[in-house]
Amino acid sequence: MSAQAALVDTRRSHALWRRVSGGAAARGRPYALFVLPALVLMAAVIVFPWLFTGFMSLHEWKLSQARSFAGLDNYLRLLGDERFQWAALRTLYYAALAVVAPLVLGTVAALIFHRRFPFRGFLRGVFILPMMATPVAVGLVWTMMFHPQLGVLNYLLTSIGLPASLWVYDPGTVIPSLVMVETWQWTPLVMLIVLGGLAALPTEPYESAQLDGASAWAMFRHITFPLVLPFLMVAAIIRTIDAVKSFDIIFVISQGGPGTASETLNLFLYLQAFAFYDVGYASAVVAVFFALIVTLSLTLLYLRQRTQWSA
Amino acid sequence: MVGVRARRRLRRLAGRAGFAFAVLVMISPALMVFLWMISLSLKTEIENIAYPPVFVPETPTLDNFRHVFEASPFGRYIVNSLIVTGSATLFALAIGVPAGYGIAKAKAYRLAVLVLIARITPNLSYLIPLFILFQFLGLTGTLWPLVMTHLVITVPIVVWVMIGFFETLHPDLEEAALIDGATLWQAFRYIALPLARPGIVVAAILAFIFSWNNFIFGVVLAGRETRTLPVAVYNVLTFEQISWGPLAAAALVVTLPVLILTIFVQREILTGLTAGGIKGG
Amino acid sequence: MDGDRSSKSGLTRRSVLRAGAAALGTNSIFAPAVFAQSGFDWKRLKGQHLEVSLTLGPRADLWQKYEKEFEELTGISVGSEKVPEQQHRQKVAIEFASGNTSFDVATVSYHVQKQLYGRGKWLVDLRDMIKDPKLTNPDFDFGDFARGAIDYATQKDGRLDTIPINLDYWILYWNKELFQQKGVAYPRSFPEIIEAARTLNDPKNGISGFISRGLKNANVPVWTSFLLGYGVDPIDPDLTMHTDGTEAIEAGKIYQTLNKEFAPPGVAGFNWNECQTSFVLGKSAMWLDGIGFALPLEDPAKSKVVGKVGYGVMPPGPKAQRSALFGDGVGISTSSKKKEAAWLYVQWATSKEMNQRHLEGLYGAPARASAYAAVKASGKLTGPKAEWLDAMAGSIKIARAGLPDIVAVTEFRDTFGVALTNTISGADPATELKKATEAFKPVLAKTEKA
Repeated sequence: MSAQAALVDTRRSHALWRRVSGGAAARGRPYALFVLPALVLMAAVIVFPWLFTGFMSLHEWKLSQARSFAGLDNYLRLLGDERFQWAALRTLYYAALAVVAPLVLGTVAALIFHRRFPFRGFLRGVFILPMMATPVAVGLVWTMMFHPQLGVLNYLLTSIGLPASLWVYDPGTVIPSLVMVETWQWTPLVMLIVLGGLAALPTEPYESAQLDGASAWAMFRHITFPLVLPFLMVAAIIRTIDAVKSFDIIFVISQGGPGTASETLNLFLYLQAFAFYDVGYASAVVAVFFALIVTLSLTLLYLRQRTQWSA
Repeated sequence: MVGVRARRRLRRLAGRAGFAFAVLVMISPALMVFLWMISLSLKTEIENIAYPPVFVPETPTLDNFRHVFEASPFGRYIVNSLIVTGSATLFALAIGVPAGYGIAKAKAYRLAVLVLIARITPNLSYLIPLFILFQFLGLTGTLWPLVMTHLVITVPIVVWVMIGFFETLHPDLEEAALIDGATLWQAFRYIALPLARPGIVVAAILAFIFSWNNFIFGVVLAGRETRTLPVAVYNVLTFEQISWGPLAAAALVVTLPVLILTIFVQREILTGLTAGGIKGG
Repeated sequence: MDGDRSSKSGLTRRSVLRAGAAALGTNSIFAPAVFAQSGFDWKRLKGQHLEVSLTLGPRADLWQKYEKEFEELTGISVGSEKVPEQQHRQKVAIEFASGNTSFDVATVSYHVQKQLYGRGKWLVDLRDMIKDPKLTNPDFDFGDFARGAIDYATQKDGRLDTIPINLDYWILYWNKELFQQKGVAYPRSFPEIIEAARTLNDPKNGISGFISRGLKNANVPVWTSFLLGYGVDPIDPDLTMHTDGTEAIEAGKIYQTLNKEFAPPGVAGFNWNECQTSFVLGKSAMWLDGIGFALPLEDPAKSKVVGKVGYGVMPPGPKAQRSALFGDGVGISTSSKKKEAAWLYVQWATSKEMNQRHLEGLYGAPARASAYAAVKASGKLTGPKAEWLDAMAGSIKIARAGLPDIVAVTEFRDTFGVALTNTISGADPATELKKATEAFKPVLAKTEKA
C-alpha cells in the first residue's frame, strides 16, 4: 500500500513536471518502481556469480587443490591457448550459420503462413513444434537419426539416390549438421516474430504498388522487407545470443567432437570447469566469453535502436 | 476467351499446388522428426536398430514407456518440473510485466540491457558459484535452487516480450487516465494491463517453455529427489548398447506436454505477437 | 530386462520386489542365513537413512536389484540413484568441493577420479573401520580381496578410501561365425590382429573387420592397450612420459590402421555403446573393450550373436602381453553424518555374497578371490560364459593399469583422445602424439607438483 502511495506521490510531481516542461525528459523517474523488483532480483541471482567468477579468474584453483592468487595468469594463458582460440573462431562460424539460416527460412515461412489457406492454424502449430520441444530430448532423437549405419537420415538420402553422409560423426560435416538441428529448432521463432511484423503491415503501399504494376519481388524488397526489418532485428539479436551460447544440442549430440571439431566456447568452458575442474581458468573463459556476447548483443541492439518500429 | 479463362484457371491451380507443396516442405521436417520419435518409442529394440528402418511398428508396444516409468520415478520428475517451471513462470510474470511496462514507458533501455544481461550470461557460469551459495544457505536438496535459477531464464523473456508489447500500445488512453487523476499504478493496472493480455500470454508461454526445457541447471543443482525431466531423460541413456526405444519414449514424455500446449495455444502465441505489432493501425 | 540373473533365487526382479514388499517385517525371503551367521549385529543402526550415488552401469543395477536385502538385513533405508558416468563424475566432484555432499556413499572410478578424491581427502579412510570388530563383520574378510585390487585402490599416502568393486580387464571380443566363414584364426600378435581385420573386413556387406572407440577421451584405453604391449606405460611413476616415443607412435599407428581402415565409417564419434551395437548386430568381427559386456552379448533379447562370441585374451605385443586394467570402487563421504551406517552398506555391497552374484550374473569382474573359487566350484557358468570366465582368468595374470595414476587423468584422456580421433581422419600419429605430449607436459608439471 505504501508503495502505491509513493507511486501516487511521484505521479503527481511527474504530472506537474510534465505540465511545466511538456517534455519527456523527466519521464523516467516515476517508472523506476515498476522496474525495481526485477532489477533487484536479477542482481541477487547474478551478482554473486559474477563476483565469484571475477575473483576466481584471478586465481589458480582446481577443485580438491589449494587455491593461490595468480593475477592475470589465466587470461595470459588464454592468449596462448590455441584450443581456446579455435573454439572462439568455431563459435563465430557456428553462430553465423545458426543465425542466418533460421532468419532466411523463418522469413520465407512467415510469408507462407501469412497467406490464408485451409488448416492454417493447425499447420502453423505443427510448424512451431520444434522450438517448443525440449532440446535435450530432440537432441537425442537427432543423434539416433544421424547414426551413420542405422540412422534414418542416411536411409532417406540413399533411397533417393544421394550418397550417405557421416553427419556429426565426421569433423568436416559436424558443424553444418548441428546447425541443421539448430535451424530446425529455431526457424519457428523467427517465423513467429516476422509473422507479427507482417500482420501489422499497412495495406496502402501494396495497393498503390500493385497499381504501378510492381513485381512480387519488388514489393517484398521495397515494401515488406523494410517494414519487417525491425522485427528481423529482434529475431537476429535473440538468435545471436542463443547461437553463441548454444550448448544442449552440441553437448547431447556430438559433445564437441569428433576430436574438437564442434568444440565451441561453451563446450570448451564446460570441459575446463566440469571435466578438468579448473575453476580459475574456466572463470577467465567465462569473462572473455561474456565480453564477446555482450559486444555482439550491443552491436545488434544499437542496430535495433536505429530501426525502431516507429521508423 | 474460353482458352484464356481455362489457362488462367490452370495457372491458378498450379499456383495453388505449388503453394501447397511449399507448405508441405515447410512443415515436413518438424512432422518427420516427431513422427520418427513416436515410431521409435513404440517399437521393440530389434525393430529400432533394423536397417532398412522400420517406419510403422509391426506390433506396437508400450514396453518402452513402461520401462521408463519402472526404471526411475518419472512421475516425481514430472511433478518437479511442473513445480519449478510453474513457480518460475508465475514469479517472472509478477515482476517482469511491470518492469517491461516501466522500461517501455520511460524508454529506459539501459535498464532493459541490465535485465537482459542475465539472459546473455552463459548459463554454465552460474553453476559452481550458485551451487556453493545454495549449499551455504542450506537449500540444496530442495526445489528452491532450481526455481531461483530458472528465474534467470524466465524474467528476461517476460521483460523482453513485454517491453516490445507495451512500446507499441497506444499511449492515449493511459494519458487520458493520468490527466483524469489516475495514479501510474492505476493506469497500468486498469488500462495497460488488460490491453496487454495477449502479450502476457505469449510471455508466459515462452517463459514456461524455456524453463521447462532447461537442462544444464538441473544437472548440477538437482539431486535424486529434485531432478527435473530433461535431466531425467538424459539419464535414460544406458550403459550398454544404444537403446533407442526407451530413450525416444522418455524424450516423448518430456516434450509431449509442451507439444500439446503448443497446438492448443498457437493462435494465442500468434495473436499475442501480432497484437504487439498493431501500432497506430 | 527382467530376466532372471539370480539363479540362486529363481525369481524375476519384479516378483522379488513384490515378494520383498510383502515380506516386510516378517521373515523375509532375504537376509539369507549367510549374512547373519557370524553373529555380527547388522541391526545396530536400524532406522537410519542412507543416500547412495552410483555410476550407471551393471554394478549399479546389481546393487539396486538387491537393495531391499540390505534394508531388511540392517533396518537402514536406502535412497540410491544411478547417474550416467560423465554427469556422475561432475556432480559428485562439485558436491565434494563444496564441502557438503548430499550422499553418504558414492562410487569412484580409479582410472579417473582416484587421485582427485585423494588430494581433496573427500572420502573416509577405511583402514581403521576395517580393523574395528564393532563396525566390521568378521565375515567381511578383508584378506579375500585381490592384492592387486587393494594396491590399485590405495592412495599414494597409504590411505585406503574405497573398497574395490569391479576390475575391468580389456579383452578382444571376436565373432566366431565371421572368423569361421573366412577361415581366420584368433590373432596371436598385433600384426595378426591387423591381418585378421583386413581379411574379415567386408564393407559391401556392412561388415567391419574391427571396431573400437573413436570418441575422444573414451578412446585412449584402446591406444594404451597396444602401448602396454610395447612394454611401456603411458606415464611412469616418476612422471616420465612415453607418449610420443617409438612405442607410442607404433601403438598409435595400429590404432589408426584398425579404426581408419577396418572400422565402420563414423567410428570417430563412437563410444562403447555404438561399438557394442555394431558388434551385437554381427556387423563387426572384432571389438576391443572392457570385459564387462558379456551380459548384453549373451542376452537373446538384445543380441544377435548369442553363443557366437569369442572372449579372447589380449594378444601379446612385441615386448609384453598386457591387458589394460581399469577399476571402480566405493567410498564414504567425509561429510557424511552416518559414516557407520554407510560402512555397513559398503560391507554389504562388497560382501562375498554380492561378489559372487556379481560374477555369476556376468555383471563384471569382482575383486574378491573367493568369488572366482565359488563360481568355478558351482559350475554355473558354462559354454560361452565359461569362456568369458577363462578370458578373465587369463587377463588377471597380465593386467596392468591402462591409464596413468595422476591427478589430471581427464586432461590426459582428453588431450590424447583428440590426437587419436584426429588420426582416424588421416592425421599423422607421430605429429599428433608429439603435439599432444607437448600440450600435456605443462598440465602434468602443474597438477603433480603439490
